[in-house]
Amino acid sequence: MEKILNFLESRTKVITFWKEYMIGYKVPRELTFPYVFGILSLIMYLVQLTSGMVLVMYYKPTTQMAFDTVNFLIEKYVPFGWFFRNLHAAGANFFMAVVYMHILTGIYYNAYKRPREITWILGWLLYVLLILETVSGYVLPWGQLSYWATVVTTEMPTAFPKIGEFISLWMKGGYELGDIALGRFYSSHTVIYPVVMGVIIILHLLLVRINGISHPEGIEPYDKESGYPFFPYVLLKEAGIAMFFMAIFLTFVFFYMHPFKSPDNFEPANPLRTPPHVAPEWYLLLYYEVFRSVPNKLLGVILFGLILFLLLLMPLLDFSPKRSARKRPLFFALFVVFLISAISLTVLGTLKPTPKNAYLGMFFTFLLLLFFISLPIISLIERREKNA
Amino acid sequence: MLRTLFFIFCALFTFGVLWIKNPFKEEEKAFTIPKEYEKIIEDERYAKEGKEIFKLYCTSCHSIRYDGVYHTFAEGTEKLKLLKQMSPYGDVVLRANYESAFAKELKALKESFGRVPPDLSTIYLARGKEYLFNFILNPQKVLPGTQMPPLLAGQPEKVAKVVSYLRSVSLPPSRERRKRTIMGILFIGYAIILGLVMFWWRREYYKEKCCLPEER
Repeated sequence: MEKILNFLESRTKVITFWKEYMIGYKVPRELTFPYVFGILSLIMYLVQLTSGMVLVMYYKPTTQMAFDTVNFLIEKYVPFGWFFRNLHAAGANFFMAVVYMHILTGIYYNAYKRPREITWILGWLLYVLLILETVSGYVLPWGQLSYWATVVTTEMPTAFPKIGEFISLWMKGGYELGDIALGRFYSSHTVIYPVVMGVIIILHLLLVRINGISHPEGIEPYDKESGYPFFPYVLLKEAGIAMFFMAIFLTFVFFYMHPFKSPDNFEPANPLRTPPHVAPEWYLLLYYEVFRSVPNKLLGVILFGLILFLLLLMPLLDFSPKRSARKRPLFFALFVVFLISAISLTVLGTLKPTPKNAYLGMFFTFLLLLFFISLPIISLIERREKNA
Repeated sequence: MLRTLFFIFCALFTFGVLWIKNPFKEEEKAFTIPKEYEKIIEDERYAKEGKEIFKLYCTSCHSIRYDGVYHTFAEGTEKLKLLKQMSPYGDVVLRANYESAFAKELKALKESFGRVPPDLSTIYLARGKEYLFNFILNPQKVLPGTQMPPLLAGQPEKVAKVVSYLRSVSLPPSRERRKRTIMGILFIGYAIILGLVMFWWRREYYKEKCCLPEER
């Protein structure tokens, strides 16, 4: 065994790497529970990747075959095909849930501040790619909901005058959603996005190792030597929590799949008949509600982009010398406003579009934007406090 | 502590609301089935009888390809025999092949009904038993203006048997469902035990070094 290890070490430096990045890597003693969402996101990425690999073997991306390959071949004919489909369908929702938790943890502990700006930007890219991944994956079963949700998505760019039509046409590959669009979405869902995501995930993790994890108490730079070693202390703890998470996830996969498989999607896509309800999945309801409550379509699309863009600009907007919401009461108050408005928008997205709900939607959109606008202001206040 | 409770409440509230107000949850049960017929629908033994009734009344317009039941105009023809022979999935012929082989006949159906009557392989999952039972019993009452004729009007028992058949096509058989339940329990149990082992292992590892870092 030692010989093999020496052989590997002399050629690949694998042991040095292990010692440096696993045992030598120390994390702060004050690490809290929400830090686990990072590793859970990674695990969900791997679950999606492996279950997706199995599904790709049987799925055929043509309008004539897609529905049958999903609902007959995978669901009934292939042994355990149903299991992998359930894993993939429920996994998408769980993936999004842990990623949202991970983003909120990052905002709460100010993990986007110097020297972790690039880590944040890479994380943001991952989030955008994940949204694209879910949207492109949604069309693949070619059921009624898949079709009509994609019609709505590909119509969104038409809000822009002149170039909008062209972008929409380019996305669809024609005036109607058909084989070309399905092929494009399939290729991007199974090859382009996952591969790019994989590369960015590696860079994201590498940067976490290089800069160290953000300190929950906002101490920077902290004494890395006094922390816990990542291996085995943190790794075993996180693996334990991840297994409990998997138990919850599998409970849904085996026993409560109905929320993840819409009844409408068990009817083949029919361009001549709209299904009774077209709404995005829960993780996009926030943007959907913003889009819906604003009276102008163009303004809706701009606001949707603006929220994403402001999320990217977090390291610039928040230049306060203080770190972590634990040490910043003003920031904490704003964070609560942000959280409540995001939750309210999501909940409003599930309700019927009445004028009252539209006003409420506009109000919470304003609150959501207020969080980003206030960041430079509280940064100035906190800077003055520190200088005084 | 207060903050933690607040965040836990936020997470539970959000996912709770999403669970209850799931926009895709089954339609509010607008239709009902009398108890005795519901029993027939859920009893797999009636599926076989239902299949015969389905073949007698429904196959002139509808097919159930996932169970190898095809339109009357296709059954027995040389073309279908060939398609079945070429299909790698036994009697099941996929939509692309079936529709191109019988394009002429399907077009004739479309001309007389306005649209091709759908294949019913997954209809049970899409519409549910309440809708299907009431729709087959009285199509005009449930969907005014529909082209579907009330062939089984006034025969609720036969309708229930047909729905039982549709159910058996869409859902896995009870033996398979039992297997899946056992598989699920084993998987979940495995995850929980492995999780506990991880924590135990971490504890054992640090016993040698007097205690866990957090206890020092």
